[in-house]
Amino acid sequence: MRCARSLHSSAALAVVLAGSAQAAVPPGTSVVPGPWVPPGKVTAPAAPGFAEALSVRPFVFPRDHGPHPAFRQEWWYVTGNLDAADGERFGFELTFFRFALVPPEVPLPAPAREEPGTQVASAWRSREIYLAHFAVTDVARGRFRFAQKLERGALGLAGALGEPLHVWIDDWSLGGGEAVAAAGAMRWRLHATQQGYAIELELAPQTPPVLNGENGLSRKADEPSAASYYYSIPRLDVRGRVLRDGRALTVSGTAWLDREWGSGALGVQQSGWDWFALQLNDGSALMFYALRRRDGSRDRHSAGTWLGASGETRPLADVDVAISVTREWRNARGDRYPAGWHIRVPSLALDLGVRPVLPDQELGTTPRYWEGAVDVSGQRDARTLGGRGYVELVGYAAER
Amino acid sequence: MSALRAASLRHLWRHPAQLLLALVGLALGVGTIVAVDIATASARRAFELSLAAVNGAATQQIVGGPRGIDERLYVQLRTQPPEPLLRLAPVVSGYATVGKRVMQLIGIDPFASAALDAGGAGGTAFAVEGVGEVRAWFTAPGSVVMSAATAQQLHIGADGHFALEVGGVTHPATLIGRIADAGPGFDGLIVTDIAQAQEWLGATGRLSRIDLHVAADAAGAALLARLRALLPAGLTLHPTRAAGRETFAMTDAFTTNLRAMSLLALLVGTLLIYGAVSFAVLQRRTTIGVLRALGATRREVLALVLGEAAVLGLAGAICGMLLGLVIGRGLVGLVSRTINDLYFVVAVNEVSVPLTSLLKALAAGLATALAAALVPALEVAASAPQLALARSVLERRAQHVARRLVLVSLSLALGAGVAVSASTHSLLAGFVALFLLLLSVAAVTPAALRALAHGGAWLVAHTSTVARLALADIATSLSRTGVAIAALGMALAAMIGVAIMVGSFRESLRQWLLESMRADIYVSAPGVSDSLERRLDPQVIAALLAVPGIRAHSEGRRVTVDSASGPLDLNAVSLVPASYAGFRFTRGDPARAWAQFRAGAILISEPLAWRLSLAPDDRLSLDTAAGPRAFTVAGVYREYGNDRGEVLMDLREYRQWWSDDGIAALGIYLAPGVSSAAAAGALRAAGHGRQALLIRSNADIRELSMRIFERTFVITRVLYWLAAGVAAVGLVSALLAWELERARELALLRSLGLTPAGTALLVMGQTAFMGVAALLAAIPAGLLTALTLTDVINRRAFGWQIGLHLGAEQFTNALWLALAAALAAGVYPAWRSARLALAAGLREE
Repeated sequence: MRCARSLHSSAALAVVLAGSAQAAVPPGTSVVPGPWVPPGKVTAPAAPGFAEALSVRPFVFPRDHGPHPAFRQEWWYVTGNLDAADGERFGFELTFFRFALVPPEVPLPAPAREEPGTQVASAWRSREIYLAHFAVTDVARGRFRFAQKLERGALGLAGALGEPLHVWIDDWSLGGGEAVAAAGAMRWRLHATQQGYAIELELAPQTPPVLNGENGLSRKADEPSAASYYYSIPRLDVRGRVLRDGRALTVSGTAWLDREWGSGALGVQQSGWDWFALQLNDGSALMFYALRRRDGSRDRHSAGTWLGASGETRPLADVDVAISVTREWRNARGDRYPAGWHIRVPSLALDLGVRPVLPDQELGTTPRYWEGAVDVSGQRDARTLGGRGYVELVGYAAER
Repeated sequence: MSALRAASLRHLWRHPAQLLLALVGLALGVGTIVAVDIATASARRAFELSLAAVNGAATQQIVGGPRGIDERLYVQLRTQPPEPLLRLAPVVSGYATVGKRVMQLIGIDPFASAALDAGGAGGTAFAVEGVGEVRAWFTAPGSVVMSAATAQQLHIGADGHFALEVGGVTHPATLIGRIADAGPGFDGLIVTDIAQAQEWLGATGRLSRIDLHVAADAAGAALLARLRALLPAGLTLHPTRAAGRETFAMTDAFTTNLRAMSLLALLVGTLLIYGAVSFAVLQRRTTIGVLRALGATRREVLALVLGEAAVLGLAGAICGMLLGLVIGRGLVGLVSRTINDLYFVVAVNEVSVPLTSLLKALAAGLATALAAALVPALEVAASAPQLALARSVLERRAQHVARRLVLVSLSLALGAGVAVSASTHSLLAGFVALFLLLLSVAAVTPAALRALAHGGAWLVAHTSTVARLALADIATSLSRTGVAIAALGMALAAMIGVAIMVGSFRESLRQWLLESMRADIYVSAPGVSDSLERRLDPQVIAALLAVPGIRAHSEGRRVTVDSASGPLDLNAVSLVPASYAGFRFTRGDPARAWAQFRAGAILISEPLAWRLSLAPDDRLSLDTAAGPRAFTVAGVYREYGNDRGEVLMDLREYRQWWSDDGIAALGIYLAPGVSSAAAAGALRAAGHGRQALLIRSNADIRELSMRIFERTFVITRVLYWLAAGVAAVGLVSALLAWELERARELALLRSLGLTPAGTALLVMGQTAFMGVAALLAAIPAGLLTALTLTDVINRRAFGWQIGLHLGAEQFTNALWLALAAALAAGVYPAWRSARLALAAGLREE
């Protein structure tokens, strides 16, 4: 007899399909397929009824930290490296995605008859789905752990608010009521829990938002719809606690916030990307995403942003940055990931080696992707330079 | 020994008909047991699979009263969990009708459900085939998924569009995907988003339950304690399995009764095997006597007879198992229909054949045959070789045994009486008493036959020598016919008993329906009796009550509420003066009880009073929306509609404690002179286009109730016909053998001048007499059986008091069966004896 499946899991069709969105929406990349489009298979046309990232727009903060419901998808992406008081080292990723199911003007289905005085439409009706990933890299113990949450944007189960910023799914949250704007400085709280690990962190931006691409308009392919609005806060001061197996460790460190929203999808020929977010200890920071084409070559729409120690920014084009892989790592299923890089930016006289703090920082979600803490060492203008950061690798795991 | 075996084989070979009939009898008995097992096991399995499918990895559930749970509790548990990794999922459930089929409608949140099953972390759930867009699940109106098998049964076309009716309102629905790998547990399930389910069921803001997965360790127990402390009043936390068990336990009394009926068939089968084996031994008395004289030991003879019986038993059991598989398939439909009529909705599409029941049947068949053969085997082995040769000794002994059996019968009857009086609530003791009583009938039947035959012979002594001879012949044939007659007597008694019980029950129900249906017309929302969605639209109620000619109306809401004693049916009513006469109190003073009722006390129906041992002035605690509250029982009333019993409460009281203002049914009292048909038409018109309504006159409801009643007893009928069939086969077999054996006697009578027709008449007369004798013995026994069934079994199983109603029709089936079996048994011997070649017949000596 066939195994009797349970209703709870069997009707979870949406999880499978929405799950396929997650690797499609890491930071640094541009537009992503919606939750219903398997990545790499289809190029979703510009979604009718949604706003599109077609031209440069003014960014207004703190308003733009909040949600942009006119667009189909959006994310808040926080990664960071932490040091505990006793010297232990951690990496963390907490990311929230918002996917709109229907454009704002399209009404949701409602019961045929409305009666005065009775509530007929269900509060569970929702036009948005929220997805979150939470990963912890425990360097001392050699552990990498991740968890995900999916929730409809209804009933206060999940949602995003602008001012002050508050994005949440269940009890995982970014921002929230504690966000304070004191003397021009924002503070955001970060909270998430998974089996064995929890984080309770407070983030304080150390730099103003950096607009990536053309003043925040980031084009990822030739198709006009394959673009998004994209900004980063490359340095946030982090203080708080990591709870490991219920025991609290006081931590501090540096985080990176990536924010992106749009309504399109990846280009047809693009198969994945490598995203680097490196914070160097002279106060500068480098963000670069290398888009990979199906034939294995690098896409010319690859791009990045350099943030100088004194706060000046410089956009980086595909030709500005040379990356070579120095090492490889293979997961248990035989998928090969790069696990060490040599990055050169001749125009900045920058020469960096990048190495993961643990080889296995792969999220076994559907689909799989690698997102992990890295160490940086190298030179700029012949001066030795160290640093830390996060790297994201998408499109390496074979679909099965 | 080989000589023994050869003799044995030759004998069996020469008497194939007898062998076959014994085999059929045993096979029927075993088959009935297997069939009942299969039918109940299939229903249980379907129920469990459906429960497993719906519950998944859930170990606990939070449930509320009839109105369910405020969905804000779920949001609170999600966003401020008492423990960070708490696994929980919301469920809204109810019933929907597609075509004529009642389906369970389940609303879920796919994300929460997947996480509950996957262990909280983002495990990969499997896909639903053919769903192109998740968007459809969340945003397309009427999106549902179901198993491919269910979709096929509902004849849903390629475009997926179909109509679905909930609580009388029709909604368009679209099948957006088929659940991949759906086991049979998904039969009869329609799964949709929780938002859609809330809207269809009219339950916005409410959840039916919250499923939880909590580890079964100390930390889990601590978490449960924290959760319990956190729950608002009126909500409870149950283990999921216990809830399922409680639901299925509703059918306990029903399935126990089925089992008892199937045992009855086997009991009759046992007697037949006994008859066949002892008859086979008797017929071979000469052979065995000779073999004993030639040196065969007692042990060898014993082994021979028991060996034969074992082979017979094995063959019968195997045939019985096969037969049971066939009958079982038929019974599955009947059993599931009864469960659906009376208890809960379950779709039984797969027949499950429990291996244990097959083994049980095998063992039962074998044991039955061996036990039945033991007495004759011991007897023939124990007798001295020369005695075995003397036929007269045997007959004398049989008569002696028959006399002794009267004593046995009396003590069995006494045992039955003791079993009943020594216990008060035990259903098992009731069945023991019933079986003792039936065995007592079997034991007394041979003696009754003998007495009747003697009496008859004495009466006709001076009018017809042939008749006298024929009757005396019967009296002296007990060694061969006694057992078959006993089996027939027992089956007839059971048949009469069941017929009287069903008849009495029917009459009580009919009277009760006449008394209690006081309103002229009843209007209700369609749906499963106490489900959430079953409520009348307030505007529809207003429109209905505006119909001219209405003198008064009562309102009712039927729900299931939790209590310390498990879920109870609660019937909340607002009565009008005319309604009061519809209640017949079996305990408590009506005037006082009604006064208390109006002041907030409850009335309980007979089955509930019996089940919970409650009497007037006792208190019954019910879980209200504000937590448990003890209600005073003001009285106990007669009610046959619900075998689990119900609580009757004033509607105002119910609303106050459960804050549910729904109304599921109206009782309409018409002004004098207003025709019920015209009013029903006007009511129908008033509700038209808003909500499908069940509008029925009290006569319609009475008729419908009687129809369901008859349906419920179809299985009983099937089973008692099976038992009767076993008995009839036994009688035919025994009489046939007996008549064939006395060919010489008949030849003698013929040679003395009896015509061929006269001979045939004689034979037919004899067998008919035996049938009638068995019937006469069975009638008083049947009455006793009926008393046991109504006053002991029914009372103990359900708590109903049923007045005994006797009618000639309750005996006719038994009469026909007795005559048919007896005459059928006589036809062939009669025909043969009429054509008998005298010389050949005489030479047989």
